[in-house]
Amino acid sequence: MSPGRAVRDRITVAIAVLAAWQLGTLVFGAHWVSPPLATGQRLLQLLANGELRRHTEFTLAAAVGGFLVGGVPGALIPFALRRASRLAAILDPYFVAGYGMPKLALAPLFILWFGIGLASKVALVGSIVFFLILFATAAGVRGADRRLVAMARVAGASEQMVARHVVWPGAVPYIFAGLKISLSYAIGAAVVGEMISSNRGLGYLIQAASQDFDTTTVFAGLVALTVLIVVVNELVQTAERWLLRWRPVDAQPEGRLVTVA
Amino acid sequence: MIVGGRVLVGVAGLVLWQLAQWVLGAEWISGPVDVLQRMAEITVNGQLVRHTAATLMEAAFGFVLGGGAGILLPFALRLSPRLTAALDPFFAAALGVPKLALAPLLILWFGIGIFSKVVFVAAVVFFFLFFNTLAGVRSMEPRLAAAVRVFGGREWTVTREIAWHTALPYVFAGLKVALPRAISAAVVGEFIASDRGLGYYINNARAMADTVGLFTGVAVVTLLVLAIDAALERLQARSLAWRPLAREIGV
Amino acid sequence: MSGAAPLLEVRGLGKRFEARAGRAEAFWAIRDLSFSVADREFLTIVGPSGSGKSTLLNLIAQIDSTTEGEVRFRDQLIASPTAGTLRPGWDRQFGYVTQDDTLLPWRTLLENVLFPLRVQNRLSTDMRERAAGLLHAVGLEGFERHYPHELSGGMRKRAALIRTLVYDPPVILMDEPFGALDAQTRTQLQEDLLRLWNLGRKTIVFVTHDIAEAIALGDRTLVFTRAPAHVHSEHAIPLARPRDVASIYTVDGFADLHAAIRKELA
Repeated sequence: MSPGRAVRDRITVAIAVLAAWQLGTLVFGAHWVSPPLATGQRLLQLLANGELRRHTEFTLAAAVGGFLVGGVPGALIPFALRRASRLAAILDPYFVAGYGMPKLALAPLFILWFGIGLASKVALVGSIVFFLILFATAAGVRGADRRLVAMARVAGASEQMVARHVVWPGAVPYIFAGLKISLSYAIGAAVVGEMISSNRGLGYLIQAASQDFDTTTVFAGLVALTVLIVVVNELVQTAERWLLRWRPVDAQPEGRLVTVA
Repeated sequence: MIVGGRVLVGVAGLVLWQLAQWVLGAEWISGPVDVLQRMAEITVNGQLVRHTAATLMEAAFGFVLGGGAGILLPFALRLSPRLTAALDPFFAAALGVPKLALAPLLILWFGIGIFSKVVFVAAVVFFFLFFNTLAGVRSMEPRLAAAVRVFGGREWTVTREIAWHTALPYVFAGLKVALPRAISAAVVGEFIASDRGLGYYINNARAMADTVGLFTGVAVVTLLVLAIDAALERLQARSLAWRPLAREIGV
Repeated sequence: MSGAAPLLEVRGLGKRFEARAGRAEAFWAIRDLSFSVADREFLTIVGPSGSGKSTLLNLIAQIDSTTEGEVRFRDQLIASPTAGTLRPGWDRQFGYVTQDDTLLPWRTLLENVLFPLRVQNRLSTDMRERAAGLLHAVGLEGFERHYPHELSGGMRKRAALIRTLVYDPPVILMDEPFGALDAQTRTQLQEDLLRLWNLGRKTIVFVTHDIAEAIALGDRTLVFTRAPAHVHSEHAIPLARPRDVASIYTVDGFADLHAAIRKELA
């Protein structure tokens, strides 16, 4: 199919979506489905009075903070465990359990410990990102091409050099795939944490508006959140393309199948 | 030897947990002893069953609703490849939005009863299953389809036999991920606004400074999800016996 | 060849592929291709790779549409640019065996062999016996419950073969079916094929790039040109049947034929 037709088709679908949205307003009433126009106006309002920026900053701070707090140890542990395979085997089911357990269910616990401010959101995000990055990195470290490692050792490289020059670059694409997924999850988790209890953030904005029956702001908040995530994803894609320019295009380790709840 | 190590780590973990309660104080941490005691209590007085049932019901109904739609839609989309291609970028955008963020909107629409949670879970589950199933359907080998057509098989046979079986591992991967997520989503929905369920129990405990209740609730949810995870692993291994390697797709 | 009308006839057939992403310009895979096949004849087609041989089979099997020319089967027009929608397999008249075995990986060997009959709603006791007989004929007895990934390449190829034979199409199209096998297995499969063909003579159109294979198997062989492919020449193969594939090289007349065809392909 020609690219022109694809673009036209997509514009058609976009218009259809907007039309369906407007139709929803007509059918259910503006109280339940805020019309696109009103939603857009509210968005601009929130932008103009700085509120949108304040809340977005908070959410991003929580996401990035948790990202670092969870991501750094998550990335380092597989390297540390690389030479201690027995210990890794012993700890494995605990890591799997930690990965499988729903960290979001811990949100009230973090609020109990750290209060309703930024810290509890960072803790929540961190706990989620930690396991995601842990498993992604572990896959990357495990996937290190044995032949390359052997070759490096034969050439006289110390274990540290092997780790830095062979294992690490091989693991980077896996880590990156983990990073991409984690970033979306991080923002999502921050938002959910804010919805449960907070005084700032996009999640708080949406939740508070919902309790005030301010449907327009709820919609505006959701749109803002969507835009934020799309933009962040784009930035990450661009960064990835640049950092991994040496890789043949097809050789990406999975990536897109898992959706973000 | 490794099993011994795991048991050791497990026991050490429990001991540290109990120590933490004594060191840091019972208002911050409830140790395993208190948690087990509370679990026994709420089992006896029926609270455990009541709340767990509510959460499981929300999760189950939402799972069936969202999962059913998520699995069937990609097969329906097979009828129009052009529509599928046109929808592609919107899929990508929808993928990125945290479905959990829809909770307040759904509660606005449907109130704090079970129904809003069911819809919420359905929305979350739908996306998991839809994208995984879609990937599976897309991975169908055209040569297999051509061979079946030469035998005289019609489009329905191609869909039922080839698209379905090709997508099956992906569907399973989706189900495996989605079922525990369904429970998680139900609990989160209950955090935000509810009058019953495990999430309600946990959040309520926090509000009442009932640390033991909080820990107990979290423990119950954790055990529930992990048990379901394990059961699904076993189920998957059995029904995909025809595959050369029980390889997982997606995370 | 007898004076009877040919079973399958190709007249002035042409297929043009449009320009697409990855293909700079449109090109003709086959053009002005004409030949005919008699009933129960084993016709082999040999030509350089990419010479449109697979395309030809796709057109006959009704998996792809013709750009020009026509295909006639039992003197009935079955394919032409104006002939309407494709009917793959033309109502089970054509079998198609390709290079990659298209066995269904999630079905057992027996289920795979019976599959065409299931699709055609013809699963009866007679048919099951027929399938069992075919399994026995190619030495796959006892493997009925195995999955394709548990079978060797040669076994899967045999399975693909009898899967096509089980519903008894009068014409079987074969597209380099043994190309992916090692030399020894290939020889064995060739012998199996000839043996099966002997039991119930079908019309076979067999495409290959291996000249020796074309001569060893066929009654007649066509030499194709490069794309846009058409028939360059045709050679009758006067070697006596039954043929010993393993030692075909030593048979009188083989060497000359081989050399002649090789020269034409150069």
